[in-house]
Amino acid sequence: MLIAAIAIGIFGGLAVISTANGLTKMRQKNAIKSYVSHLQIHNPKYLKYGNVIDVISNSKLEDFLNKSKEVAAFSKRLKIESFVESVGGNGGVILNGIEPNNERLVTNIFSQCINNNYFNKFGKRPPIIISEKLAKRLNAEVGTSIKCSFTDIRGEPSLGVFKIINIFSTSNSLYDEVNAFVLLKDLAVLAKEEHVHEYAIIARDAKNVENLRNNLSSNFKNLQTDSWRAIAPELGYADKMMEIVMTLFLIIIMLALAFGIINTMLMAVFERKKEIGMLLSVGMNKRKIFWMILWESICLAIIAGPIGILISYGVISLFSIIGINVAFAADGLRSVGLDSTIYPSLDNKFYWLMTALVIITSILSCIYPARKALQLNPSETLRTSV
Amino acid sequence: MIRVKNIRKTYSNGNFNVDAVQGVSLEINQGEFTAIVGPSGSGKTTLLNLIGGLDVPNSGEILIGEQNIAELSENELIDFRLHHIGFVFQSYNLIPVLTAKENVEFLMLLQKKSESERNERTLQLLKAVGLENQTDKKPNEMSGGQQQRVAVARALASKPDFVLADEPTANLDSASTQNLLNIMAKLNKEENTTFVFSTHDQRVIDRANRIITIDDGKVVSDVRNTIA
Repeated sequence: MLIAAIAIGIFGGLAVISTANGLTKMRQKNAIKSYVSHLQIHNPKYLKYGNVIDVISNSKLEDFLNKSKEVAAFSKRLKIESFVESVGGNGGVILNGIEPNNERLVTNIFSQCINNNYFNKFGKRPPIIISEKLAKRLNAEVGTSIKCSFTDIRGEPSLGVFKIINIFSTSNSLYDEVNAFVLLKDLAVLAKEEHVHEYAIIARDAKNVENLRNNLSSNFKNLQTDSWRAIAPELGYADKMMEIVMTLFLIIIMLALAFGIINTMLMAVFERKKEIGMLLSVGMNKRKIFWMILWESICLAIIAGPIGILISYGVISLFSIIGINVAFAADGLRSVGLDSTIYPSLDNKFYWLMTALVIITSILSCIYPARKALQLNPSETLRTSV
Repeated sequence: MIRVKNIRKTYSNGNFNVDAVQGVSLEINQGEFTAIVGPSGSGKTTLLNLIGGLDVPNSGEILIGEQNIAELSENELIDFRLHHIGFVFQSYNLIPVLTAKENVEFLMLLQKKSESERNERTLQLLKAVGLENQTDKKPNEMSGGQQQRVAVARALASKPDFVLADEPTANLDSASTQNLLNIMAKLNKEENTTFVFSTHDQRVIDRANRIITIDDGKVVSDVRNTIA
């Protein structure tokens, strides 16, 4: 029973940790893929003051990005805050002027549109893609024309009429609410600006983002290059938070394991008082009795630990592929940037760490029962029999 | 030889003390088949525990051969018991997960005897107690009498100077008791092993060649049984 309890305890703990870890990773991945990307480059003044005039005018940057082997893809964006109105409603939105062919290599908005054609099919009127949330606010649908008014680069009012050609919906409803996409060339004409405000970059190796950031920062000192951790600090904090949660869970699992073993071994010692008394009487020394009890709990841990860890590994690996469908909570999850299918994930090193901790905890937690056994007086334990 | 010199043992039982053994002195020679008898609570178990080094007297000396066991440290005493004293318990106290052979062999393992020596001695003892065909049976597969015979074989496995047996027949029927006594008497003669029983079983008393009677923690008589 104890073996089953230890194994189930380990599995339960690891399942919770891997699910929470999967949620964190999913949130990061979704954010990176839908709007943050690995790196973003801006004019530092644009980040500080948000003025449309603070564009990136460095002509060497694009050459550098095109030639860099560390860069998998990049997309440039002209970003203009705009007031949009339709027959059915109005609201504020950031117009993102993009080059669709490059943008689709950096973000996955194209795959989250209700029509597959993204920006490929439109008529004479400049096309716009808005979110499902904005469409509801504007009471608009595909084919509806909307007016976008904003201030151009010279500070003069500008007005554009766009036709909705697609509607997207990402897993982050806050992002959806304030972003819309138009063609860069259309927005450039309306804003009278040939440069852009933002370069979004996807690194070839996600682990190499920080190196690439340093490289860009040193080559373009007048520009600000930020990694996803700086752009969306809450994602980085979630990572740190997850580490703390994992550590806490590990401590709880190990404490439960320790108490389970202490309790069981104490019971075993007291149930076997006569046997231990007999062993002491006939000449088994205390060191051997101590090791006998130590070995019993080590054996329990050696059997139960790997069973729990193997079950966890199997189940977590399986669900990391097929996912856990929580469609019933899809709306709630979407509001915090999560999909309705969770893919648990856990680094392999965590399983090794868990194995080591189970064995160490088992050894430490049986010391007390073993010491209790050594305190038994053989004549007292055998009083009823000798 | 066992020499007990004026030993006293007092137990504290809550607010009052129990003088379990009060100034007992006696000598038991090698090869004796001795019964310590007396009513329940007379102190015979305490006396046996003191002789076996399972308990420490408040005063007095216990010499096994020339060794005063009070001078031994706890670990030395455990080691001394392993090599010099055999125990037979009332409720057998065999290790339930081991077979009869393994139970007998166990003490020799602690003594670090070679495998061949262990095997030879184990089979010899199991044959002596009439269990040569039950070597692979576990305690729960044997009768009480059989288990106690295994316990006697185990007590003798380490070739002790003497065997202490407390009420060894208390849980046995008449036939098993006679069988066990025959075996112990035979081993007493063949191996010159000293047996000291605490008992109030008349069948054991009848077979003993020395009967020490104690009451209220004191020796009240010490007689030779010439009939046995």
